[in-house]
Amino acid sequence: MSTEPSAERGPWSLALRRFLRNRLAVAALGVFLAIIVFVLAAPLWADHVAHTGPNEEHTVEQITVGGEKKDVVTVEGKPIGPQWFGAGGKFFLGADSRLGRDEMVRLMYGGRTSLLIGISAALLATILAIVLGLLAGYFRGWVDSIIARTLDTIWSLPVFLIGLSFGIALAVGGLDLGFVEVSGGSLWIPILIISIFTVPYIARPIRGEVLAFSEKEFVEAAIAQGASPGRVMFTEILPNLASTVIVFFTLMIANSMLFEAGLSFLGAGVQPPNSSWGTMITTGVELLRIQPLLAILPGTMIMLTVLALNIVGDALRDALDPRGKARMDAALQFEAQSGATRPVGEASFS
Amino acid sequence: MKKLGALIAVLVLAAVGLASCGGGSDTTSGGSGGGQKGGTLDGTYASFPDYLDPALSYTAEGWTAMADVYIPLLTYKHANGEEGSEVVPGLAKELPKISNGGKTYTLFLRPGLKYSDGTPVKASDFPFAVERMIKLNSGGSPFYLTIEGAEKFAETKKGPIPGIKANDKTGEIVINLEGPRGTFTNELGLMFVAPLPQDTPIEDLSANPPPGTGPYMITKSQPGKGWEYERNPYWAKANGKAMPEYPEGSIDSAKMTVIRNPETQVDDIEQGTYQWMQNPPPASRYQEVKEKFEGTQFRVEPTISTYNFWMNTQEAPFNDLKVRQAVNYAVDAKALERIYAGQIAATQQILPPGMPGYEQFELYPHDLGKAEELMKEANPSDMDITVWTDTESPNNEAGEYFNEVLKELGFNTTLKLINADNYFTVIGNLSTPNLDAGWSDWFQDYPHPNDFFQPLLAGESIQSTNNNNFAQYDNPAANKKMVELAEEQLGPEQEEAYAALDKEIMEEAPWAPYGTRTLSTFVSDEVDLESVIFNPTFGHYLTSFEFK
Amino acid sequence: MTRFIVRRLVGMITVLFAVSAIVFVVFMVLPKQNPAQTLAGKNATPVLVKNIEEEWGFDESLPQQYLTMMKKVFTGELIQYSPRLPVLDLIVEKIPATFSLTIGAALIWLFFGLLLGYLSAIRAGGWLDRILTGVSIAGISIPVFLLAPVLIYVFANKLEVLPNGQYVPFEEDPVEWLKHLILPWITLAVLSIGFYSRVLRSNMLDVMNEDYVRTARAKGLNERQVMTRHVLRNSLIPVITLFGLDFGATIAGTAIITEAIFDIDGVGNYAANAVAKFELPPIMGVALYGAFFVVLLNTIVDVVYAYLDPRVRLGESAS
Repeated sequence: MSTEPSAERGPWSLALRRFLRNRLAVAALGVFLAIIVFVLAAPLWADHVAHTGPNEEHTVEQITVGGEKKDVVTVEGKPIGPQWFGAGGKFFLGADSRLGRDEMVRLMYGGRTSLLIGISAALLATILAIVLGLLAGYFRGWVDSIIARTLDTIWSLPVFLIGLSFGIALAVGGLDLGFVEVSGGSLWIPILIISIFTVPYIARPIRGEVLAFSEKEFVEAAIAQGASPGRVMFTEILPNLASTVIVFFTLMIANSMLFEAGLSFLGAGVQPPNSSWGTMITTGVELLRIQPLLAILPGTMIMLTVLALNIVGDALRDALDPRGKARMDAALQFEAQSGATRPVGEASFS
Repeated sequence: MKKLGALIAVLVLAAVGLASCGGGSDTTSGGSGGGQKGGTLDGTYASFPDYLDPALSYTAEGWTAMADVYIPLLTYKHANGEEGSEVVPGLAKELPKISNGGKTYTLFLRPGLKYSDGTPVKASDFPFAVERMIKLNSGGSPFYLTIEGAEKFAETKKGPIPGIKANDKTGEIVINLEGPRGTFTNELGLMFVAPLPQDTPIEDLSANPPPGTGPYMITKSQPGKGWEYERNPYWAKANGKAMPEYPEGSIDSAKMTVIRNPETQVDDIEQGTYQWMQNPPPASRYQEVKEKFEGTQFRVEPTISTYNFWMNTQEAPFNDLKVRQAVNYAVDAKALERIYAGQIAATQQILPPGMPGYEQFELYPHDLGKAEELMKEANPSDMDITVWTDTESPNNEAGEYFNEVLKELGFNTTLKLINADNYFTVIGNLSTPNLDAGWSDWFQDYPHPNDFFQPLLAGESIQSTNNNNFAQYDNPAANKKMVELAEEQLGPEQEEAYAALDKEIMEEAPWAPYGTRTLSTFVSDEVDLESVIFNPTFGHYLTSFEFK
Repeated sequence: MTRFIVRRLVGMITVLFAVSAIVFVVFMVLPKQNPAQTLAGKNATPVLVKNIEEEWGFDESLPQQYLTMMKKVFTGELIQYSPRLPVLDLIVEKIPATFSLTIGAALIWLFFGLLLGYLSAIRAGGWLDRILTGVSIAGISIPVFLLAPVLIYVFANKLEVLPNGQYVPFEEDPVEWLKHLILPWITLAVLSIGFYSRVLRSNMLDVMNEDYVRTARAKGLNERQVMTRHVLRNSLIPVITLFGLDFGATIAGTAIITEAIFDIDGVGNYAANAVAKFELPPIMGVALYGAFFVVLLNTIVDVVYAYLDPRVRLGESAS
């Protein structure tokens, strides 16, 4: 796959046109962008409509709805239901729990956390995977052996169990590696855990592709011309990985968000007072009989986001490489596919 | 046609007959069709007890599970509420004779007692049980280290303990203590030192509990899943006659299953799949259950417990009295009531209602204005604090609430949640950094005020690990009073002194106590709610369950 | 082939050691907590704590503790903290529950996944394809811990047709065993059905465009014969191998959330409870059990794949 820009229709613009023709994918992309806007608008809503922050508690307060005073949390511990604009936008979606916080505000801020973790983990994993894949595929030999073995080991770990263990162990004391210190409640901890376990999924197919590309003529030519390994890897091979990387990155965001939700459910992910859609589902499930919305709202948000990302990722793959796989060696094809089509081992953390 | 008519008639009659002799509610594995005695009780616990071994268990689940199986020399009256705090003779004939300035306890074993495997109970079984408990490194052993020679035994594990002398012929047991100990009578009533046959292995027998002396025996144990009881055959034959005041129980057998989801437990009771749940309904179902079933299947049970927020009095900012008092003014009992869905009764004292020596007072009624004033006056330099709480609901929410209160007072807080199983170990380890303030609760081990003051607020109790004095409160005057009162036997004078001590300490506000917890009894419609007895120390007695 | 298997066995042992080391570090080194303090209870004295340390060996150096623990793992003497029971026995006791859950769910998801994928592929582009693809993608997107409580609420509480959790052993009551597993099976399967149907669909579509398929059609084979003999067979290979990997991961007790929500007394639930309590022995036991199954199934998959595709077997350079 050459990256020489042709005179009129480069492969990128072809891909773009194929993508745009897929109306479902465009809609999904729209949904995803809408969600991003939704969560970015959190401070605006909090300051100007709800007049409260995501962690402010109003347990003993009352609000005025239609002239009547209502408890935010009743004495029996029932949080108030959605008020829509009845109280001027306060408690638009009701209170979140017996602590009387604004559900709408928390939904928006929680989304920030979920998306932040999802995108950061996917980004970090992708970068690591590219580096490892390039090194392994280009240098081969013992470098490849070590990297492949390490990835295999991570791949073979009972992912969720170890992730859970790390999460809980680090949630209290944080991480102190001497040169860097991360506190227990920091979002970096779930981000790091999720990325480490996501790397093999991306690194394996990238490694496979690098192996294939490093035998191509243009690479051999570059080496013959005296280019350093770094140059070859980053200037010649890397651009060809672009489509694989883009597809994976998109799908990994979805996967990371689900992984984080699972970790948070078991207490190993986001720590209070931070919240994410995952932690909100956990508290919501506890109150499922009293106020089902509290679980359904964050659950739907995660579903929508993951759904949208999966559709977009699928469409990107179709757009960027509709028949490319057929041309690659069958074995490498399997390598590439086993990562690409897997929405990152749902079965591994169900 | 005629034949068909006859057939239909027969069927109708049969149906009517069956319907009328059903009688009473549908039983799953329940009582003998509407009668009062007998039957199998199907109960659920939310978790398997820490141990099903009397020498080792130190949780409410364990004590409730084994209360009517292992009877110590002394026991607690089978009664609700305050009456249940009275110590009465168990395997011993009478309450101990205390002499030698409070250092010698003399008891006599009742004759003719037998274990559930037929082995006769001997006086020397008591020192054996004490030694076994210490050898097993039981969490209960510290209660008994004042026995002469017990400490040395704990280190060397080489017996016998010189402080206990038992005479198998006369049944006399004489215990000598290193110093007087007012709580020792209560401690003799705990299962840690229930006598056991001397061939009982010195290992954790949770999977195969040893024989006991109570009306019921544990016949099957599947750790993690459940256990079963049957009547102890030697209760009717021997023990019941020797201990006529001890109830013999109505049910014939019982089966306990571990169901980890409290919501499921509630559903099961409502649907009649199970007949009793040991733990209270979760906060999310509490009000619903209370409204529907109070008086018929549900009853609120008081406990002797204090829930509080502790503050580290040794370091800034909480070494300043004004700051601590500000916190007390800022905490709002109304909020916590809602957080616990009504399962907390507000109190702002060390001792809870129900504890001998409790006298009500309120030093810090909720007043945010006053709190802020005090903060301004105090103007602490260090405003960065770490707040600790555990993960079990609603304690985690109480902790989050406390976090917000402190934020409102101007502090810069970091909240840390620790899993309930490890929480006390972490905050009890003084090498853990930033132990500034946090949540805590304390349920009595036995109904004696010293059980609250000494471990929680005595200066000498501050230890580097397994500390319970989280406030690190060390007031020499209070310390002296605690030691003095602990040596005396509990009477009206001592109770008054304890009440005064409560107030004095709260004037220094090392804690912001907020409530005492209620638990509950929730049974299915086949069980007679009135007969169930909930003891503040041991929970629901198996011998008190009766079918309607 | 033998060299291949031997290498894999060596690899398996390496992985198991790596897992044990990682778990040990996570639970002994990172938390800076002394398990003896937790075991000693709320009333403990320093002497008691010290005694417990001696009893359990917590006062030895960390590498020494690791070696002792590994020795205990091999001799089956690994004991959990409270109650003090052998971890191995408990895991063995809980395996039937986990196996019932995971194997049952796996068969369901494989069957329906393939069915949906097949239907999607042969009607590619049509309305059936769109619907099935939509359903598949939706299935992948639902968080388990939301789906499960909702299912429980609807079927166990409102309609009261199914039990709300727990596990009944098959020997005890086959009908109840089945009833108690229906909702957990559905929960686990929903996620993977979507995934597998899409994999099969995309594989089939790729293969259908291959030259040899077109040749077969040209030769006069009818559509059904083409589908089954050529397309399906060749598209299934990657799917089966993926299934092996997934199945390994699931059986390794990692259906933790499902087991936890339905209170199924399986290996995953056992581990989850132990993790929360920072209790190392059960976690070590389950982690090794899990890693063993994952590696075992990975190896089987690789062997099967190598056997089926001579290009991989012979082309060592590719791996």
